[in-house]
Amino acid sequence: MSNRPRIILYSLVGLSVVISFFPIVWLVLTSLKNTAGIYSWPVQYWPDPLTFQNYWSIFTETPELLRYVLNSFIVGVGCTILTLSVGGLAGYALSRLRMRFAGVMMVIILSVSMFPPIALLPALFQTFLNLGLLNSFTGLILAHTGLFLPYTVWMLASYFRTLPVEIEEAARLDGMGFLRIFFSIILPLSWPGFVATGLIVFIFSWNEFPLSLVLMTQDAMRTAPVGISLYPGEFAFPWETISTATVIAIIPVLVITAIFQKQILGGLTAGSGK
Amino acid sequence: MNAFNTLERRTQFVGIGFVTPTFLVIALILVYPVVQSIVLSVGQSSVDGFEPYQFVGLEHYAALMEDDRFWRSLSVTLIFTAISIPLELMIGVGLALLMNESFHGKGLARLAVLFPWALPTALNALIWRWMYNADYGLFNAIGLESGLVSEPVNWLGDETLAMASMVIVSVWKTSSFMALIILAGLQSIPRDLYEAGRMDGMSRWQEFREITLPLLKGSIMVALIIRSMDALRTFELPFSLTDGGPDSATETLSLYAYKVIFEFVEFNAGSAIVVVQFAVIFSLSLLYIFTLRNKD
Repeated sequence: MSNRPRIILYSLVGLSVVISFFPIVWLVLTSLKNTAGIYSWPVQYWPDPLTFQNYWSIFTETPELLRYVLNSFIVGVGCTILTLSVGGLAGYALSRLRMRFAGVMMVIILSVSMFPPIALLPALFQTFLNLGLLNSFTGLILAHTGLFLPYTVWMLASYFRTLPVEIEEAARLDGMGFLRIFFSIILPLSWPGFVATGLIVFIFSWNEFPLSLVLMTQDAMRTAPVGISLYPGEFAFPWETISTATVIAIIPVLVITAIFQKQILGGLTAGSGK
Repeated sequence: MNAFNTLERRTQFVGIGFVTPTFLVIALILVYPVVQSIVLSVGQSSVDGFEPYQFVGLEHYAALMEDDRFWRSLSVTLIFTAISIPLELMIGVGLALLMNESFHGKGLARLAVLFPWALPTALNALIWRWMYNADYGLFNAIGLESGLVSEPVNWLGDETLAMASMVIVSVWKTSSFMALIILAGLQSIPRDLYEAGRMDGMSRWQEFREITLPLLKGSIMVALIIRSMDALRTFELPFSLTDGGPDSATETLSLYAYKVIFEFVEFNAGSAIVVVQFAVIFSLSLLYIFTLRNKD
């Protein structure tokens, strides 16, 4: 192969990498400038002086922004655990137990997953208001679980299908019950599927916006994307604070994506392109 | 035989037990609210139930037909979808073909594809809002210094430019998702097809036209429909980027519905908007399921 296509290939790859990363790079650079540096013309490309003042200020002056991140963690972890346990059982039953109407149930689960979240808002708000679930972690965790459960069931079912049938038959001959088979044989064998699905559900929950916006009306209960989006006041737009808070709020998802890129890639594309 | 029947019955019984929690959550969080939205849209009531529910028929829908802002938000949504999706598809196919080549630094390239996907849409919109800033933004700085523009551009302040700016953010964020799905499709094409093509003396372009593209049709359909459904319900992008402005030029159907429900506190009128949107997206999703079934 001659060199020219290689050069073109590498320039295209390089270009894609630059285009993908420049907004985040610019965000981080902004967060490292002082206020005068942020509002300066001509624009400062490199922070001068480079300062961590904005990060220090968030910890000392606007800790509510950290509270948003903590709330996102609580909701994300809660939703991931609940989704995996509830969806794991269903995915197992629908893929391995030869249930009647399993196919129909899978299609029903797939079709409800496409309901637009906005269509849920009026009734969900009203119901949660009546049940006292507004501004509660339980409420939002439940709502997120509902949103991401269909995806989880489908993903886990497709993982379970890859396991050999013989292992369950052997276990059943040994007199093991269904729950024991699920917990002591199926779970240990399919943990990569659970990890990939769990990571993606966590990211979904971390990024979810409409339900988090509407079901958490108190400032102290807001999740990171909502809290930071609503942080700007009526007139001022304090970019030094917003950019810094945004960096803090996206670090968890970016770190997860960087570490588990193969698992996430597999999880996102499973079943879509066969 | 008897033992088998008992086991069979127990299996069905356990299976129902295993799927029940899932269907309960789905019924409460997804199905009931949609049904309730339809009920709300043909009645008059107050949020707290203080005012008793009164059936009013299609009154709210009739009012929608007269509502210019509703039509505007519908056309904003459709235009946004119709422009973004083809751009995303072209870039997505390009990226997928690129990722399918072998080169050094695959890890970094894969990360570059995944990063935009992993960013929260609302926060990504804030990041771009700052880059679009007319006075201190990165784009005007680069544009002015390189001489591409002679005076600062008000990216989010002009109706057409604001729409274009919103499309750019969306294309940047979601092309990579398109690429991932198409890449999975590419990787499932058997290698020997290309070898056969090479023996027949096909050029690379012919290979793409005659082998790759026809076999990718399924993945492309899947990617197109998933992304269209997503684009038709776009909410937090304009919420955080423009708040629907200027003068509702970027106000999507979802954003308008949200404002009617929670800012004007018109639950019933808002529910009617939501039901219209639901009908559009749900018919598209049925098309999607139909496509998937035909593929298998």
